[in-house]
Amino acid sequence: MNRKSLSNLVGLLVLLSLVLGACAPQPAATQVAQPTEAPAQPTQAPAQPTEAPAQPTTPPAAAFEPLSLSAPDCDYGGLVKSIEALDEYTVRFTMCEPDPAFLSKIAFSSFAIQPREWLEQNGGGGEGSPLLERPIGTGPYVVKEWKRGDELVFEAFADYWGDDKAKTPTLVFRWSSEAAQRLLELQSGSIDAMDNPGPDDFDTINADASLQLINRPALNIFYVGMTNTYPPFDNEMVRQAIAMAIDRQRIVDNFYPEGSEVATHFSPCAIPNGCVGEEWYEFDPVKAKEMLAEAGYPDGFETELAYRDVVRGYLPQPGVVAQDIQAQLKENLNITIRINVMESGSFLDASDSGLLQGLHLLGWGADYPDQTNFLDYHFGGGSSKQFGDKFADLVDALKKAAALAGDELRKPFYETANNLIKKHVPMIPVAHGGSATAYKATVEGAHSSPLGNENFSVMSVPGQNTFVWMQNAEPISLYCADETDGESLRGCEQVTESLYRYEIGGTAVEPNLAEVCEANEDLTVWTCTLRKGVMFHDGSMLDANDVVFSLIIQWDQASPFHKGNTGAFSYWSGLWGAFLNATE
Amino acid sequence: MEATSNSKQSKTPQLNPEGLRSAETVTLWKTAWRRLFRRKSAMFGLGILVFLLLVAIFAPVIAPYDPYQVLIGIEPVRMRQAPCIHLLGCPKDQPQHLMGIDGNVRDQFSRLIFGARLSLMVGLTTVSFAIVVGTIFGSLAGYLGGNVDNVIMRIMDVLLAFPTLLLAIAIVTILGPGLINALIAISIVSIPAYARVARASVLSVREMEFVEASRSLGGSTLYILFGRILPNALTPLIVQGTLGIATAILDAAALSFLGLGAQPPTPEWGTMLGAERNQVFTAPHLVFYPGLAIMITVLAFNLLGDGLRDALDPRLAARGAE
Repeated sequence: MNRKSLSNLVGLLVLLSLVLGACAPQPAATQVAQPTEAPAQPTQAPAQPTEAPAQPTTPPAAAFEPLSLSAPDCDYGGLVKSIEALDEYTVRFTMCEPDPAFLSKIAFSSFAIQPREWLEQNGGGGEGSPLLERPIGTGPYVVKEWKRGDELVFEAFADYWGDDKAKTPTLVFRWSSEAAQRLLELQSGSIDAMDNPGPDDFDTINADASLQLINRPALNIFYVGMTNTYPPFDNEMVRQAIAMAIDRQRIVDNFYPEGSEVATHFSPCAIPNGCVGEEWYEFDPVKAKEMLAEAGYPDGFETELAYRDVVRGYLPQPGVVAQDIQAQLKENLNITIRINVMESGSFLDASDSGLLQGLHLLGWGADYPDQTNFLDYHFGGGSSKQFGDKFADLVDALKKAAALAGDELRKPFYETANNLIKKHVPMIPVAHGGSATAYKATVEGAHSSPLGNENFSVMSVPGQNTFVWMQNAEPISLYCADETDGESLRGCEQVTESLYRYEIGGTAVEPNLAEVCEANEDLTVWTCTLRKGVMFHDGSMLDANDVVFSLIIQWDQASPFHKGNTGAFSYWSGLWGAFLNATE
Repeated sequence: MEATSNSKQSKTPQLNPEGLRSAETVTLWKTAWRRLFRRKSAMFGLGILVFLLLVAIFAPVIAPYDPYQVLIGIEPVRMRQAPCIHLLGCPKDQPQHLMGIDGNVRDQFSRLIFGARLSLMVGLTTVSFAIVVGTIFGSLAGYLGGNVDNVIMRIMDVLLAFPTLLLAIAIVTILGPGLINALIAISIVSIPAYARVARASVLSVREMEFVEASRSLGGSTLYILFGRILPNALTPLIVQGTLGIATAILDAAALSFLGLGAQPPTPEWGTMLGAERNQVFTAPHLVFYPGLAIMITVLAFNLLGDGLRDALDPRLAARGAE
């Protein structure tokens, strides 16, 4: 009897400990992880001293130990040679090659600055890290609460450094993948603004005096991607045949709203040097059929077409377009396509890792108006495995072009690059999609950004303390150093800031956390002077080490803080070429 | 030998209620039909079903277009164009589309017609499969009893504990989306209902005299179960099956709506509904007609099922006989 109750007690204890173990890994893991990883840091450090010996600098910086990281040489393949804090308010970037797009890149929201202590304290990310939920920035809004699956609430930051504090005290992000639902909520007044009305609803909104429709310039590209590591897409002729067999004009004419155009090149023509070189293949089903037969598939083949069912400016009707491509390829090349609708996050992961074996539908919206943002990100040396193996000649042309200052000098190389893209067909550019945002007519400061980064701190509705914005999807995380999704980036952009920023509703860059960044003559060394008196949301003050630390943990793959959400840090490698200490 | 004794019994007036039920199997069908014919709602359901069956069989004749044909460049029609019916005043120079044009510029009416084939096929195959499997398990459990009964019925209880649609979604997630996999999933989730019904019927029939007689004459277990007991325990299964078809069609449409069932461009009603769900205000015909089709089909099966239940229920039968 006694023994039985004892064994029951033991059993209960085991069960309880199991439950506790299952429930409480997050706080335990982060606390344990730090001490174990901390000792590893010094062992890696000697190669590139992260903590440079305190150089005798300006007197007030006596307690300030400037942080820096530099690559031993430029052979690792990236653009960045070193990032150093010179004193409390000066950061110097040394580049391996001239980078005329430096300011446009550094302004991008994935290079936003967070306090060094906050990043360290949370281990640089990882699963369940608070860093992914609550970014600490310097922006006009602070993340108040994120009810996963429901809404994301921001509140105005009282100590914001800028002259223009947020106009509305509370900002709420909600989301719905259904354009009809977003419009219904806007019409009923439960939200103040929405992203991407359905193409069929443009007229409805224009006709409604209580709403306003603001068109977003088509600074984007929708493409049909192929991964060249899987047969039959490893055959260039197959890819070219598919490129000729899709009637892109038909897709744009039938399924895109006004203001959209058929893509002649990967980048839109509004981007400098965007559409130089030969135009894309004409629609020619007969020739396509011949080429496919020549490539060894006279009777077509079976494959898959993957996409995510989310509406973006570049792809307003994913399902319909997917089915039309399915029908076209069946009719023109007898290719049988199985449509595979994937969840947004896993689709992007699979695409980034080159795991999609068939065709896939994806697109790209400009982050900053430069060819490097379009071509280098997708086809350059630092690009992901999305299209399979890289094309050496294309990588080479892009590298040469990126190193030159001045659009005229770069032109011949971008001509070559565009012609090579046409030849290799890593993907088929289809359309530059026109899109829009819709607001209540009473919203002041309403705008639509060509880069998709609407700034809500300048918006308000008279007599309202809360502004509700509804977008297509929930942010994936709010640590945007490791996010590529526009819905996540827009969330981060309300909270965190970079050294420069894009003007509201436009693409030009202007100083933000930096008062100025000055380049040397050949554009290889950029020295940024930081703004003084900028307070983070946690009350700490911005200094040069915060800037350096926020960036080097992205750059250095060996850093114990190089974790992020998935650890991909696609924007860093896409824009700056490569990681330091890359593991593969 | 036994069969003749049964039919003899049935012709003699019955006083004993035990004997009544077992003996009436032959005339039961006749009276049931008569009773079914008298129920207007059941006949209405049956009428719709016959109509749907004819539509499904003659789909290629009825449909004016190929359901997969994209009409871009062939006819002057726009994506999601409203219905154009010449009889109702649509100009004669425009091509007639009874239910309008869908998001991919195909004729909605033709797709709906071909969709009838799929939906009926889904309903019948899933329920047949579930009835066969469920009956085997249920009758074995009911007849053998003991541990076999316990094991089988507890497994069925576990299956029943899941909401059917959730379980179906889970199964499709494992198998991968597609119409066939959706059929398998729906079949599996509907098994327990039939197993339970079969077991209950077998339990009530197996103690009857004619079964005992067969047993005493040395009939094998299999023969007694499948030759003697089951034919007399079928009626509740038929009722359950007819009602189950309606549920199965609804589940299949739900799975397709979620993108887990029939894959585009298959003209399946749930898929059509799901693809155009955003256009409920701008192009209501694309959501209205597939929804209506699903509703009518489900309603037809439900009406017929209800009628059958009333007609075949032995208690109602006894009441009706008085």
